[in-house]
Amino acid sequence: MDFAPSYTPEQEAFRSEVRAWLSEHMPKTGGDLDSDENYRKFRQLGRDLGKRGWLRPTAPKQYGGGGLDVASAIVLYEEMDAYGLPIPPYYDSGGWLGGASILVWGTEEQKQRLLPPIFTGDVVTWQLLTGPEAGSDLAGTKTDARRDGDEYVINGEKIYVGGSHGADQFWTITRTNPDGDRHKNLSWFMIPANLPGITVRPMELLGDGGEGIGAGVKNTVYFDNVRVPAANLVGGENNGWQVASTHLELEHGSGGSVGRNRWFTRALRWANEQQRDGRPLIEDPEARDRLVDIFVLTEISRLFGLRNFWMNRTHQPMTYEGPQSSYFRKLSGLKITEALHSLFGPYALTHDERWDFSEGTLDAYQRSAIVALHPGGTADIQKVIMARRIGMGREERESAGKTVE
Amino acid sequence: MDLSLTESQQLLKQSVEDFIEREAPRDTLVELQQTERGFNDTIWKTAAETGWLGMLIPEQYGGGGAEFTDAAVVYEALGHAPMPGPMFSSGVLSAQIIQHVGSEEQRQRHLPAIASGEVICTFALTEPEYRWGLHGVRMRPREDGEHYVLDGAKLFVYDAHAADYVITAVRTGDGEDDIGLLMVDTKTPGISTRRLGGFTSSESEVIFQNARVPKSALLGRPGGVRNALDRALMNATPLLCAYQVGGAQAVFDLSVKYSRERVQFGRPIGRFQFVQNHIVQLVNHLDAARWTTYEALWKLDSGREATVSVHLAKAVTSEGYREACDYAHEVHAGTGVMREYGLTLFTRLSRSLYHALGEPRYHRKRLADLVATIAVD
Ligand SMILES: Cc1cc2nc3c(=O)[nH]c(=O)nc-3n(C[C@H](O)[C@H](O)[C@H](O)COP(=O)(O)OP(=O)(O)OC[C@H]3O[C@@H](n4cnc5c(N)ncnc54)[C@H](O)[C@@H]3O)c2cc1C
Repeated sequence: MDFAPSYTPEQEAFRSEVRAWLSEHMPKTGGDLDSDENYRKFRQLGRDLGKRGWLRPTAPKQYGGGGLDVASAIVLYEEMDAYGLPIPPYYDSGGWLGGASILVWGTEEQKQRLLPPIFTGDVVTWQLLTGPEAGSDLAGTKTDARRDGDEYVINGEKIYVGGSHGADQFWTITRTNPDGDRHKNLSWFMIPANLPGITVRPMELLGDGGEGIGAGVKNTVYFDNVRVPAANLVGGENNGWQVASTHLELEHGSGGSVGRNRWFTRALRWANEQQRDGRPLIEDPEARDRLVDIFVLTEISRLFGLRNFWMNRTHQPMTYEGPQSSYFRKLSGLKITEALHSLFGPYALTHDERWDFSEGTLDAYQRSAIVALHPGGTADIQKVIMARRIGMGREERESAGKTVE
Repeated sequence: MDLSLTESQQLLKQSVEDFIEREAPRDTLVELQQTERGFNDTIWKTAAETGWLGMLIPEQYGGGGAEFTDAAVVYEALGHAPMPGPMFSSGVLSAQIIQHVGSEEQRQRHLPAIASGEVICTFALTEPEYRWGLHGVRMRPREDGEHYVLDGAKLFVYDAHAADYVITAVRTGDGEDDIGLLMVDTKTPGISTRRLGGFTSSESEVIFQNARVPKSALLGRPGGVRNALDRALMNATPLLCAYQVGGAQAVFDLSVKYSRERVQFGRPIGRFQFVQNHIVQLVNHLDAARWTTYEALWKLDSGREATVSVHLAKAVTSEGYREACDYAHEVHAGTGVMREYGLTLFTRLSRSLYHALGEPRYHRKRLADLVATIAVD
């Protein structure tokens, strides 16, 4: 067993290359990371990364990905993480999840047409799953797609989707046979965002959901007789649930992660800097206890993510591991915010420019940890899936969705 | 034994609920929350005119002279709305402090104005090196003839942005008991107040820059503050708890209703055992908060020693309100984080009031000091 990724001399050389490139291309950003100006800079960085195949490092080269091995991909994630940024450095979960689904379920023509813009950072893609009537019960969607010649006509409404800065395309799951059997009546479409009949309206939610830069606002998207080319139906008519099993699996955490939860490092630094009774807060035994609470939770999360990353990239069969890491992260988020509140007192709640020492992150986290309970399936839904995958009370263990071709 | 509300308490509760339904329905409160002041004149005038504001203040000082439990009925109903505004800070906390720490002359001067709502008052204890309790008081005024001169900051003071007076805790000497409470007029030159933004309710800063406060503003006698202040805090705390209980009750009500109405997978979500579990945990926190609070109130009304019960109530209630909101969010998923739905009004308060009058850890520490006496009783 070896927890440390091992790097060949070539991979080490790759790290030097990445580091040098990033130090040259990393944009200077200040203030609100979600501002229009900063977002534009991150989008440009994404395109520059995309040109080198570094935006989707492990995706196949022929579709615009990097075709890199796992260790090289880790190098990239780590070097970006040093700037506190994910890859891509903006909200594009629709590109990540949609791209993976097309890789598994798309025709060759669709892969060649739809994947390069995503993998090279040319477009931003939103995932449109949730409807007012269909949250956890995604298969119960009432967004309809009716075939009409070479097109499908889509009607319906999706909520809590996307982010602050608009999108170039959406993918969504629709009902193509209202009378068909459950799970066998759905179809999956890629939809250009500029088609007539599409309206996007921002929603007001408690916080940003912790999904990254650009995810600050969620939206309602209305489809009013939107005509989509039949060529954009991926996976075949009434096979949408199969396609969804791929991105749902990934969204439930099966992709894993190699980053670390920054909350412990931050809390430790602030506890050293903040004074209580004329001494650093860190000297208070109670404060140290709270820091350890945070440390334990974040280390477990990190290890669940690391294990899943390894399992996913080395094609190990997975069952409950994805939803487990998702569940643990959701619930520990709430516990961490309470520990931070107890550690820093009311400072944990304010972004006041005179008194907040966290650049707004503490206050934002108090809200986003609550909001983050829900995206990608509620904590309960993660438990439901874990139970099925473990085979609780049933002989047959449900298997994980297919995430690679 | 009888744990029910009296008939007049029932009527009182009803009258507050009627007012809320008429003047402060949830969508109005969602809008108010966004405003700079955070409350409005209708709320303030009604609180004053109905006598809710001054309920606890003795009749000879213009108040209602009510029992703690009566006032708690009102505060619980206000918390259920949840009604914003400095009612508690002024009519309960500050009034109790003036009543117990102030001189007879000071009581006569200040309490009637507080009861009538003419004057809004709040209490400032904590400073940038945040810690609840008198040992956290560092601000030490200079003496200059008939004045104290104040410099520094009081931080996370509830409602200071709306207050005419801030009862400011200062250090008057090096001894443990050298604490003074100054009735500081916020219009004094050199004093500014500002509400702090964030996941807060009415936490504010009070900045003092060379602010000259007459020595006559000192409540009571120097050095004689500690016990009297403790008395005032013991009396006031359970009413804040009652406000939190009302909030926890409201998120319980919302959650049960939603569990019946929201349908997924062809059935109401309340049929799912995970959802049932959230609401069961929620109601356990609610009832724990309610009964620890009620017992503390009863002890105060019946003249019993209430210290242990008050600390117990505040620790349990602050933790419980926070948890109750977390469970309500699990039940509501997306709907619960939509601003217009109103659940987040409570969530915000559950965070903000978590540390009001001392966070749970503080009260658990006091309990730890007292458990030996509990065992002997
Ligand atoms: C910040 C944020 C970002 C989001 N981003 C996106 C996005 O980009 N794209 C998108 O499509 N959607 C997005 N969503 C929507 C999210 O996926 C849904 O909120 C989530 O799936 C839950 O659906 P719901 O809110 O309708 O809750 P409901 O499904 O109505 O759930 C209500 C309650 O019932 C429980 N429940 C439901 N079914 C079961 C069951 N079978 N067993 C046990 N308990 C059950 C739930 O756990 C919850 O407690 C986002 C949501 C948020 C808050």
